[in-house]
Amino acid sequence: MSELDPDLAQAAVEHCYDQGWSDGLPLVPASQPLVDRFLATTSRPPDEVIGRLAQVDREVTVELAAINAAMAGCRPEYFPVVLAAWDALMRERATTGGGWQSTSGPAPLIVVNGPVRDELGFNKAGGVFGPGFRANATVPRAIGLIVRNALGIHPHVFEQATQGLPGRWSICVAENEEESPWEPLSVEAGLPAGTSAVAATLLRTSEFVDNRHTSDAEQLLADLADTISRTGAWIFRHASAGIVFCPEHAQLLAGAGFDRAKVRSWLAERCGRTVGDLADVGKDGLGDNGVRHASGERPDGFDRLLPADDPKHLLIAVAGARNAGISMVVRLFSDWSATAVPVETKELA
Amino acid sequence: MPNAILDPTGGASPVAAPFAPAPRKHDLAGARIGLLENTKQNAALLLDEVGKLLVAEHGAAAVTLVRTKTAFALPASDELVAEYAGECDVVITGVGDCGSCSASAAADGVAFERAGLPAAVICSDAFVATADAMAALRGAPGYRYLTTPHPVAILTPDQVRERAAQLAGEVAGLLTGSGA
Repeated sequence: MSELDPDLAQAAVEHCYDQGWSDGLPLVPASQPLVDRFLATTSRPPDEVIGRLAQVDREVTVELAAINAAMAGCRPEYFPVVLAAWDALMRERATTGGGWQSTSGPAPLIVVNGPVRDELGFNKAGGVFGPGFRANATVPRAIGLIVRNALGIHPHVFEQATQGLPGRWSICVAENEEESPWEPLSVEAGLPAGTSAVAATLLRTSEFVDNRHTSDAEQLLADLADTISRTGAWIFRHASAGIVFCPEHAQLLAGAGFDRAKVRSWLAERCGRTVGDLADVGKDGLGDNGVRHASGERPDGFDRLLPADDPKHLLIAVAGARNAGISMVVRLFSDWSATAVPVETKELA
Repeated sequence: MPNAILDPTGGASPVAAPFAPAPRKHDLAGARIGLLENTKQNAALLLDEVGKLLVAEHGAAAVTLVRTKTAFALPASDELVAEYAGECDVVITGVGDCGSCSASAAADGVAFERAGLPAAVICSDAFVATADAMAALRGAPGYRYLTTPHPVAILTPDQVRERAAQLAGEVAGLLTGSGA
């Protein structure tokens, strides 16, 4: 391929850095012919506004999303997934309510369901939270570039993350529907089976639970409850969480008669801390504004972490390899819309 | 001619109308004070204490309007700004001590000033970058507001009163003749 000119490519990459468009990694310089291929994958008009951030007076159009998706390294055919992910995130209270500016530096969690997973090469198995797969890596990066460039939320200015979350702009998992004992997440969220769809929410943190130690469903759930019930990410009266189960854990639970709803009700009842535990870390006080504070004046009792046992407050998905009992617990920035957005499938001319 | 490299930002933000601070009176004698607190821990107490000190020591008439923001991340609505402009002579708002609320506190200050109401915005000193950026975005680069050392949320009530005592004079200065 001697006609490819690396020196020209490097100059274009540097130009993108110089404009302040990059998240720190090299960008694919976007040209009109490339972006046109992205726009051809959707029936939505380029000037359609798909997001607005009132406080900074900026908006996102389909065309700006396409330019940023191209720069992120997406293939044009990924673009309908980027749009669905963006629409899913716009259903989250936090994304229009200051979440992108937050000191928490929350990371989107993007979950892909349906045929589009294999058609576009989304990883659903081993290393699903890790690197190595273009679709999983570039779709969330596109979201991050849209926030940076179209909404103008830059680190150290309007983006005030104290430390931020490892994996911000890189967490996108396809659900391992084939090895999950339960219906797809998108079906639980109300869409017909077989629909390609995206669900998304914002995360405060994530921590895995490695339990290859028991075949007892309740012992496994107790291990998950222990991690979900950590005080560190618990800042308001209640908190919401999610679990991305590995197939092994999901199948163990299903074998013991647990569906998603039963997992939720078991955990909702048991996740939480005693008032004494919370007082020990200065988070026992409950004020009118909903933020916990140090009080030391409450009678002993048990504060449940989850406000209710519904999908809004405990997202459950299945992804990863079936090679070990390692599941990921995530803590949500606020809660989840409990919906999924269908991926548009436009027949290309 | 090669293809142009496309701009992913949508171009520059619309230019806001020119800004001038609201006219100030010589002092706070007889002034009706408005407080707009943003729900952040200790914000209500801090503003309340500053309001009391303006009445007790700076000649203000009374605190006549106290409201809590419904969404700390978002700027105050036009209706809320108009309500303060109608019922107060000066307004104090804060505490901007997070990423989104520091920006919106600065936006609120600019909006109050544009409505003719001298405003004292109080931010934690860890958030000057975002407050300054928002003021510039609203057409008021260099907008003056007050800072208090970070953090505010973990202070005891007595410490909050100390902060209020430190701030009251600065607030009075910013809301009167020489301040803006």
